[in-house]
Amino acid sequence: MASAVDPNAFRETMDVLMEMSRLLNTGLDMESLSICVRLCEQGINPEALCSVIKELRRASDTLKASENSAS
Amino acid sequence: MAGLDQKSPNVLLQSLCCRIIGKSEAEVAHQFQYAVRVIGSNYAPTIERDEFLVSEKIKKEFLKQRREADAALFSELHRKLQTQGVLKHRWSILYLLLSLCEDPRKPSRGANYGALFAQALPRDAHSTPFYCTRPQSLSLSHPERTGLAQNSNSMGTSGIGSIGVYSLNGPTPQALLAGHQAAGESLRQPLGSRLAWNLPSSAPTSRGPVVPTGPSARATHRHRRDGDAEIGEAALVRDILYVFQGIDGKFIKMCSQANCYKIDDKAPVSKSLRDTSSRLAELGWLHNKVRKYTDSRSLDRAFGLVGQSFCASLHQELKEYYRLLSVLHSQLQLEDDQGVNVGTECNLTLRRLLVWTYDPRVRLKTLAALVDYCQGRKGGELASAVHAYGKTGDPYMRALIQHILGLVSHPILNFLFRWIYDGELEDTYHEFFVASDPTVKTDRLWHDKYTLRKSMIPSFITMDQANKVLLIGKSINFLHQVCHDRTPPGRIAPASESTDSPKDAAELFTDLQGAFEGKIDAAYFETSKYLLDVLNRNYQLLEHVQAMRRYLLLGQGDFIRHLMDLLKPELVRPATTLYQHNLTGILETAVRATNAQFDSPEILKRLDVRLLEVSPGDTGWDVFSLDYHVDGPIATVFTRDCMSHYLRVFNFLWRAKRMEYILTDIWKGQMCNAKLLKSMPELSGVLHQCHILASEMVHFIHQMQYYITFEVLECSWDELWNKVQQAQDLDHIIAAHEVFLNTVISRCLLDTNNRSLLNQLRAIFDQIIEFQSAQDALYRSGLEELQLRLQFEEKKKQRQGEGEWGVTAAQEAEENKRVQEFQETVPKMRSQLRILTHFYQGSVQQFLVLLMNSTDESLQFLSFRLDFNEHYKARDPRLRASLGGSRGRRSSYI
Repeated sequence: MASAVDPNAFRETMDVLMEMSRLLNTGLDMESLSICVRLCEQGINPEALCSVIKELRRASDTLKASENSAS
Repeated sequence: MAGLDQKSPNVLLQSLCCRIIGKSEAEVAHQFQYAVRVIGSNYAPTIERDEFLVSEKIKKEFLKQRREADAALFSELHRKLQTQGVLKHRWSILYLLLSLCEDPRKPSRGANYGALFAQALPRDAHSTPFYCTRPQSLSLSHPERTGLAQNSNSMGTSGIGSIGVYSLNGPTPQALLAGHQAAGESLRQPLGSRLAWNLPSSAPTSRGPVVPTGPSARATHRHRRDGDAEIGEAALVRDILYVFQGIDGKFIKMCSQANCYKIDDKAPVSKSLRDTSSRLAELGWLHNKVRKYTDSRSLDRAFGLVGQSFCASLHQELKEYYRLLSVLHSQLQLEDDQGVNVGTECNLTLRRLLVWTYDPRVRLKTLAALVDYCQGRKGGELASAVHAYGKTGDPYMRALIQHILGLVSHPILNFLFRWIYDGELEDTYHEFFVASDPTVKTDRLWHDKYTLRKSMIPSFITMDQANKVLLIGKSINFLHQVCHDRTPPGRIAPASESTDSPKDAAELFTDLQGAFEGKIDAAYFETSKYLLDVLNRNYQLLEHVQAMRRYLLLGQGDFIRHLMDLLKPELVRPATTLYQHNLTGILETAVRATNAQFDSPEILKRLDVRLLEVSPGDTGWDVFSLDYHVDGPIATVFTRDCMSHYLRVFNFLWRAKRMEYILTDIWKGQMCNAKLLKSMPELSGVLHQCHILASEMVHFIHQMQYYITFEVLECSWDELWNKVQQAQDLDHIIAAHEVFLNTVISRCLLDTNNRSLLNQLRAIFDQIIEFQSAQDALYRSGLEELQLRLQFEEKKKQRQGEGEWGVTAAQEAEENKRVQEFQETVPKMRSQLRILTHFYQGSVQQFLVLLMNSTDESLQFLSFRLDFNEHYKARDPRLRASLGGSRGRRSSYI
């Protein structure tokens, strides 16, 4: 599928998406965004993916909070 | 991240988890499991796959945040992205970005969760207990979320208080929050599984864009401020929860005058709170109404099975409602436990309750209306009432009613199938639409024992179907009790075995209306066919019908003629001297001598003589009658009424036949005596008169007989025979037979409309009999005179032979005197005959006038035939007017 695509073009696309992500204040870093793009390209439902990301963030918040209180 | 390589989604997901949580793979195992589950269960997106739409939404979002420059920048970027064409699912990634977008000016995520759940809860009101009973179906049903409420209904629960899922489903959303804030405790539980438990139900919320702070939450702030000095909203919420169960709260009480729950007028409550709580309190009132009905009915045994199942279905609905209440209570409890720690947004508020209880309220409203409508109804009537409520355009309500109807109609269907397959009626409470009268004996079983209760026919069963159902069971019972047929009912009409579960019952009344009808039809055909087979094969029904025609309706001509010949000497005697056994002997002689002997003994042994009631002066002719004994199953067709009709018709036919018989006797006498009496010229005039009158009578009787035989009996018989051959059930045969008898009765002038005609006909018959006796007397005296004259001549010859004078003067004078006397009687006879003729013709004319005025066409035709040469018309001005008039009319038709 996408393996034939020129890496330069891919990088450009990723840059554009990263810019969009920044504008929209999604809080995704480059690597997360890349994973998300790949998942979306495989036909994953973005709705579900969004809810997963939100939950994961919340879980990490909780973890951090508990670590803080523990320390 | 060199390129878009083909890693599996699971690997990608795992790395995403690691990346976001910031831990190693082993540590994020729970979260990873959860993520796989969510992704797997949400495989098909619920939103539109339109890139343009999504990009427009994003731009709108920018505009909302007043970042017009960013919007322009975004559209530039979007254009660039489109030109590059690396990505296939651009809409997908754009949508993801949009979903994750956050307004930078708003506070951080943490505080939003309450609002998130506040939105999630009512939406999840659809997640019925069906999920907790069948957790494995979770992933399947998520993509079908849109049609969820209907699905859950059709799955067997109607889910009033469908939020109930939380009470069984583990920690409530508040528990999750608690874990978030007082984290120490919650850490001991595996976080991932908790998430996985909670989130499948909240996942669908991400379908729509998440509004960070819901309007309801904001409204709550305001209320809180307003209500500070007055009764707090929390207190009202607590009250409302009691009111929901029909229990008076501290402030909200049942007001008996207004028949509603309301807050005490003097209580210091703000207007909006008062209004909201009164709207909520409606639920309590509705609950009370439904509850009162079920409580009063469920103990009432006479209410019957249908009523009981109605109550059960109401209970089921109430149970769902209670489940909702228990969830709300536990929520309240939790808030109390956590006290002030909980953020204001996650409270139970009146407004939130208003939203969450919207669905249950609509359901309860329907139930209350239903309960109102069903008041005082039971059995099939109740089912009709419920069915009437199912005719609504609202699919939710229709599903609810359909569910109740399925339960309510289940006992009725049970009755129905027991009835049409086994012929058993176990209807203790008179709910089924077939009623049985236990006092009716078996001989009237078919006609009187079973009837339809019109009011109990459910509206989803047509009158036609109900009649068929009645007939099927009746046939089975008839076979068993009257025909003593021992075939097991299952063999008559094999029942399909899939008729017993309530789900089938519900389906039968909704989707498979045709199949249900087919089932009834099939049972109807099978049973009726079997019944007719048994009647024809074992009980020779058709042979009996034919026998009736041959014997009681004089179809077997040779037999009737011979019987009359044999009976004549007996029947002229007074009726009181007749004995039944003599007549029975004669009947048997007649049977043996004619073709009747070839009939089956089964039929002949039923043939009998019957003497009608004797009134003084009756001769044997008046009281004699043939009889045909019917019993057992065929008595159902030949009822007592039918037999009395048959006897009446037989009487009439017998009388007409006798007239024919008399006239042949008269004719015979005329032929024999004409030659003998030629030597008495003084009689010739009288004899001529006799001949004329006799031929007039012969003509009349011939026409009458023609009319009776061909126009009445044969025509009706042909009709009956055709109908009997085509009959599908016993009722058709009975009806055809009744029609046949009624036609014969009315055409034979035996019904009340034709009484005057019949009387006139009787008068004519009487004249014929009188004429017979008059003619007999005439011939007797004539023949006697002839005898004497011959004797006189003989003596004269004898004496002359002996050489004496043939006659002495004295003898001659004596002879002449006798002849003179005889000749003097002739005018007397003549005048007697003239009077007779006059009366006879008067009767015939009167009869013709009545015929002309009759409405029956065949009778009018009879009158034309009787007066074919307008002989009577010429004599009677009344006939001229009516005949001429009607003939003129008739010709104008042609």
